[in-house]
Amino acid sequence: MAEATHNVIIGNGSAGNGAAITLRERDPDSRITIITMSSLPFYNRYDLPRVFRGCHDWREILVHPPEYYDDNRITLRRNSRVIDVDGRSRTITFAHNEVMHYDQLLVCAGGRGYLPEELSDYYHLMHGFHSFESAMITHDALPQGGTLLMLGGDMIGLDLARTLIDVGYRVVLLANEYTFWPHRIEPEERDGFLAALERMGLEVVDGMHPVAIEEGAAGKPARRVLFDDGSDVDGDVVMPFYGLMPTAEFMLGSGVDIERGLLVNPQLQSTDPRIWAAGDVCQIWSEADKEYRFYYGWTNVRQMGEVAARNVTGASEDFKGVGDERLHVGKDGYIQSPFWEY
Amino acid sequence: MVDRNGSTDIQFAIIGSAGDGTIAAGDILKRAMAGLGYKVIAFDIYPAEIRGFGKCISRVRVTTEQAYSLKRHSDVLVSLDDSYAIPHVGEVCDYGAVIYEASPIARLPEGAHITAHIRPTQLPYGLNQREISERATSAARSRNIVILGYLAGLYGIDPQAFRDVIAAKFERKAAIVTTSNTTAFDAAYEVGRTVFKLDQGSLGEPAPAKSGETATMMTGNGAIVRGCIDAGLDTFFGYPITPATTILERLAAELPRHGGRVLQTEDEISAISATIGAGYAGARAATATSGPGLALMAEMLGLGVMGEIPSVVFVSQRGGPSTGMPTKTEQSDLNMAVFGGAGDAQRIVLAPTNVDGCYRTAGKAFEMAEKYQTPVIVLLDLYLSNRYETVVPPAKNPFAPDLNKGLEAWRGDGDYQRYQQTEDHVSPRALPGEDGGMHTVTGLEHSELGKPSDLPENHMAMSAKRHEKLKAALTHPDFTICKRFGDEGPIDVGILGWGSTFGEILEAMFAAQAEGIRCSAMKVVMLSPLPEEQIAAFMDDCDAVLLPELNYEGQLANLISGALGRPLTRLNRATGAPMQVEEILAEVRRLARAKAA
Repeated sequence: MAEATHNVIIGNGSAGNGAAITLRERDPDSRITIITMSSLPFYNRYDLPRVFRGCHDWREILVHPPEYYDDNRITLRRNSRVIDVDGRSRTITFAHNEVMHYDQLLVCAGGRGYLPEELSDYYHLMHGFHSFESAMITHDALPQGGTLLMLGGDMIGLDLARTLIDVGYRVVLLANEYTFWPHRIEPEERDGFLAALERMGLEVVDGMHPVAIEEGAAGKPARRVLFDDGSDVDGDVVMPFYGLMPTAEFMLGSGVDIERGLLVNPQLQSTDPRIWAAGDVCQIWSEADKEYRFYYGWTNVRQMGEVAARNVTGASEDFKGVGDERLHVGKDGYIQSPFWEY
Repeated sequence: MVDRNGSTDIQFAIIGSAGDGTIAAGDILKRAMAGLGYKVIAFDIYPAEIRGFGKCISRVRVTTEQAYSLKRHSDVLVSLDDSYAIPHVGEVCDYGAVIYEASPIARLPEGAHITAHIRPTQLPYGLNQREISERATSAARSRNIVILGYLAGLYGIDPQAFRDVIAAKFERKAAIVTTSNTTAFDAAYEVGRTVFKLDQGSLGEPAPAKSGETATMMTGNGAIVRGCIDAGLDTFFGYPITPATTILERLAAELPRHGGRVLQTEDEISAISATIGAGYAGARAATATSGPGLALMAEMLGLGVMGEIPSVVFVSQRGGPSTGMPTKTEQSDLNMAVFGGAGDAQRIVLAPTNVDGCYRTAGKAFEMAEKYQTPVIVLLDLYLSNRYETVVPPAKNPFAPDLNKGLEAWRGDGDYQRYQQTEDHVSPRALPGEDGGMHTVTGLEHSELGKPSDLPENHMAMSAKRHEKLKAALTHPDFTICKRFGDEGPIDVGILGWGSTFGEILEAMFAAQAEGIRCSAMKVVMLSPLPEEQIAAFMDDCDAVLLPELNYEGQLANLISGALGRPLTRLNRATGAPMQVEEILAEVRRLARAKAA
């Protein structure tokens, strides 16, 4: 009896899980393995602000119960970091030195927070929001009613900000060109959107350039951000939100074309016919824009996973993307983004 | 693992290869936890083969309330060697933790790393065991200490308790050994303390010790040794055999300090012969062996019965027959202990059910051997011999120093009648060389004078004497021959048990009661003579009786059925592993359902 096709998915987010269940539906006999660096089964990172609403048990934000994986015969490899993919031998090497063979590979590794080079020395003084664990650590560091200094303010950060304000925290947004990422904001729109943020309760500091982060002095809040003009601002926690950069380093030796993310055609197939990609990790050729571009947001990402899985199993379907990606101000005067919808 | 009342029940399983320090890590863990005041039950499994590899498992159950057995599912599995740990990932409960080497050196084929086997309901914790060890000690051999530091940090356990045990463990080695291991422990403790905890990260507080009580960790064999010493054992003769060897080893180390002597004989026949010889000479004497050794001792035990000579034989059972499974547990030597040997050779057979019971039974065995002038066999098994439990030693020595019915009791006329028929069927016993006590001891049937006699009426009378005198053992002072636990009065399901299995039986009984099943359990410690009255009374109360035991034939079930002629349900397992609570509970449920139907 022929061995079952081994479909391996790197990434346990919306794209990876959307791909996995689609693969299972279309190819009941295949082996499906999801690889993730996380200790936890799939949870929706869009749900992470719930940590600040009292959701402190990771079981409460799981998209599926843990039994889901066994029920669908999906092997979940947690705490497993891929360090290399060899497209010729169709093997994956883990940081823990194990080597795994694949027949079809779907790279859904997502992206991680970008941090400008000039702030990298202060990484240890900042808090993250990329995982349940980091959200909990941030929660524990932020005293009730305390102040968050938000650097940049991409749409992930602003989603957190509106929750924090709603539950009684203070958010000081140090706005810059990354504010509202991944929306492309026209210069004439910017002030209106910043005003909407202030209506939402954020304190907006615009045009200041942070150059250093320090621990707060005794009796003062735990952190201090210094600006290039010599001024500063105090807060309990500093969090950078400068958008995402694709997590694709482990693909450098794979033989596929990479720019910032993995380059894929509209069917989400890379330059290696057995390697596909979906989600924040890939740049998709847009015939309309005549360029490879990223598509963000839960709806896009989930759809990418499903389209890629259908194409892996014989379909030939182009990824379309959600139609309207514009940031806008709602009737309540607050900003609204399609990237917040899921 | 910590319930709403703050009580703790957490079981650790450390699994590695021989040479990884697996058993040593489990030893430090259990001693540290016991030192903190927790109740501990622990059991180690190691390979039979004498060579430098093979699977080792140390399981340690830590509780604040009294527990009676290990659990089927561990809450934490620590892998020191994935190739051995992977088959055991399934024993980790839902939301239990699996701790493993995150950075193995060797290149691994697919599936050879434990992350491939951790289920989504389990919590993975990767730890750079080797790296932490090498950084702290310049060597990888302290990985077993590293995992202890990590566990202490992860579960908020006082690190000083571990440091103290580590220091004590290595006190005879160069100071650098303690220092480097403590350094490795501390480094890993910090990693465990700061790692993000996926589940409840701390244990409940142990119950405060009762005034004047100091708990200590002991194995079943260790408790036997302690009982022997407190009972005033004079001489011990032994020949090494798994799993009884540690009794010989520990007595060799300790008994001389208490004025006793230990001799390693050339074989088991010699050991029992010397033991009976010493008993004949008036010494408290014992030997220890396992099933194959007991088989060799059968003929001399017959001499002990016929000569009415006190002796104590500790038998730690293992998988049989023949060489069988030397490092696996079983309860299959009951038939041989009760019946083994030529003729009608009844002797006293006792089977403690836990470590504390091992201590009491060891001491009482000497009392009974002397008082009833007979060999006494104490049946242990590998699971009980090697199992660690926290016990509280008694404040004062509970054992009578001398129960010999001595020569001064001789009131008769004429020659000394060593085998005089008396009201309690126990004769005066002169020791060799005592003035006026000259007599013959022989394996031949004999008269009251000890002289050979095959007269029919004599053989009948002497057989009756040798059997009748043992009945008094059923009321031996300050000794539990059997005991009922659980619900009183009419019950749905009663569970009879003996030996180490009784811990699992108790746990199953409590679980059944929690499900609303009226359930009781009775442990039978004295297996010969059998406490028939008490067992019958217990069975009278039961709609159904279950008897779980670790043998294929149902040896105690056969014994009770033969004696009482009552129906009972057997649950026999001969897998080499302890009985599972869940297996017993499932059978209890089935019987309860059948009764309800």
